[in-house]
Amino acid sequence: MSDPSPYVGIRRLFVANRGEVAARVARTCDALGITPVFGVSEADREAPYTRGREVVVLGRGRASESYLDAPRVVQAAVQARCSALHPGWGFLSENPVFASLCAAHGVTFIGPPPAVMQLMGKKTPAKRAMGLAGLSLIPGSDGILADADDAERVAREVGYPVLLKAESGGGGRGMRIARSESEIRAAFEDASAEALACFADDRVYLEKLIEKGRHVEVQLLADRYGNVVHLGERDCSVQRNHQKLIEESPAPGLSPDELARTLAAAVRACQQIGYVGAGTMEFLLDEGGTLRFMEMNTRLQVEHSVSELRSGVDLVAEQIRVASGHRLSFTQDQIALTGHAIECRINAEDPEQGWKPSPGVLTRFDLPAQVPGAVRVDTHVEVGYEVPPFYDSLLCKVITRGATRDEAADRMIAALSELICEGVPTTTAMHRAVLGSAAFRSNQYDTSGIPGWPASEGR
Amino acid sequence: MSQGNGKSLRVGVVRNEDGSLALTSPGVGVWRLGPSVGRALLSGGGSASADEASCGVLSVLGVDYRLLLPPGVAGRVVSRLAAEEREPNVDYGARLLELAPLGGAEAAAAASGQSASAATGLVFRAPMSGRFYLRPAPDKPAFAEVGATLTRGQTVCLLEVMKTFNRLALSGEDLPERVRVLAVVPADGEDINRGDVLLRLEPG
Repeated sequence: MSDPSPYVGIRRLFVANRGEVAARVARTCDALGITPVFGVSEADREAPYTRGREVVVLGRGRASESYLDAPRVVQAAVQARCSALHPGWGFLSENPVFASLCAAHGVTFIGPPPAVMQLMGKKTPAKRAMGLAGLSLIPGSDGILADADDAERVAREVGYPVLLKAESGGGGRGMRIARSESEIRAAFEDASAEALACFADDRVYLEKLIEKGRHVEVQLLADRYGNVVHLGERDCSVQRNHQKLIEESPAPGLSPDELARTLAAAVRACQQIGYVGAGTMEFLLDEGGTLRFMEMNTRLQVEHSVSELRSGVDLVAEQIRVASGHRLSFTQDQIALTGHAIECRINAEDPEQGWKPSPGVLTRFDLPAQVPGAVRVDTHVEVGYEVPPFYDSLLCKVITRGATRDEAADRMIAALSELICEGVPTTTAMHRAVLGSAAFRSNQYDTSGIPGWPASEGR
Repeated sequence: MSQGNGKSLRVGVVRNEDGSLALTSPGVGVWRLGPSVGRALLSGGGSASADEASCGVLSVLGVDYRLLLPPGVAGRVVSRLAAEEREPNVDYGARLLELAPLGGAEAAAAASGQSASAATGLVFRAPMSGRFYLRPAPDKPAFAEVGATLTRGQTVCLLEVMKTFNRLALSGEDLPERVRVLAVVPADGEDINRGDVLLRLEPG
């Protein structure tokens, strides 16, 4: 499936991110003969993935003074003589002003055109555009909420429970549920404050909360010549507080007809809005079996590795390829999605203690053995690493593939038993409990609870 | 930090063991117009008016930021970064200028910084490291203010840990049911470590 055409133009690529995605992008850079240059905060200066690499120190540990400061990041890319920039996920990855700033200073932003990011990043215009392309939608507020009073008014119209979501959000940050009128004001304020801190934008909107839903998303890839392909769907229903814990593909229990209808509409929608690059459309599978569009993430996602393992495609390489003006290196017909893939996100959190994130030093960190096509481990940490308090708590991702869902799950349990981390608590034991539970194996769960956890409940 | 028609930033200060100082870049950019070796630098009393306080200019995407000395710094430039290069690219934290101390004046200023007041009496400490927020939203009243009475279980602040906002409830085995706030120790938005004192309290 590889195309021998050279990646003309990009020799030095600025990695405007940290942690696992920074390490992930660098891996593809190495494969393509591109020199990655890392923009790092003071807190990440000694991070293992920057060892022996070119770095530019951006600023202090807190993201607003380093990874989120757009002029600072672009200046760093320019003075490091990089002709392209990969934004990773989170931080500035879905900020169209940042993408424009890159372009204005001669740096190729690896992502969609700023105008398309603007459209899809603003959740409410995005919903409208997707509705026009034939995707089903979730009822909610007609645009941004003006204040807590407005939230209260709209919530009364739509009916509780409701979900408040950051207009510029992603990754589950800046979201709160309100189950009754007594909760709506605190939920609005907390969502706004978290949105401001994470995305420098405190605007939120409201949707009816569909409680028994499953989270299903579609991985898309597009070039600037109107070629759009999908790499199938992923089910990300094992979540806690909208933080995905386990992702898998194919989505169990989804009707083939509804999947085919949605995949076709998603591809059509990408063509209509002129999408370029990798992107993900997220859907809620409601109890009636309908996939309802929630939002589009105009960037690489953490769980992209699930689709990579099933398709054999290097999504980061394709991102770099289409951003450089090349065509996609394959057509839809050439994509074969084989087997069943599962990903577990291992976080430095303690599920036994209210999922408290725990900064600290890793005194032991043994990873499972990697097996090509069957077991993959993506990480940016190693023994001796100190988890800084400024950022998210992801330590590593383990991805397995098997011929069937059960085989992939069994393989994951075996892999996780080889994963030994000491010094900070992790979510590893929770993952093993979930994957071994009857609720997970029989597919009896939704996004409102974690199947098989807590283990004592015997769900 | 912009003032007048220009923008400015304060350089960082690193104190070396021998008492000399290094001034560090507060950002990423092109450093220009820095003072030459032998020049005496002295921070103004508070309002940074004089050119004397200038450590040159940092250009970020073509926008110039005047670099100012922080208060309480005095010294003579003994060396500068990349002396052979007139306009070097610098990272955050790059050592722009090395200063030799001028006299005893700044030693006194430095000493006034830390006075570890003994933590007698009741306190509420941070259960984990993170960023401290006193208010639910910037335009909302503070959870806890000096003189206010709090009861156990009441929210006293937000703590942002790994991008998650946590409401901290007043708790502690040695705390009575009701307490009065004597002092809120961290500034709003400050990064704090586990075990840091957040509130000083007395029985209410």
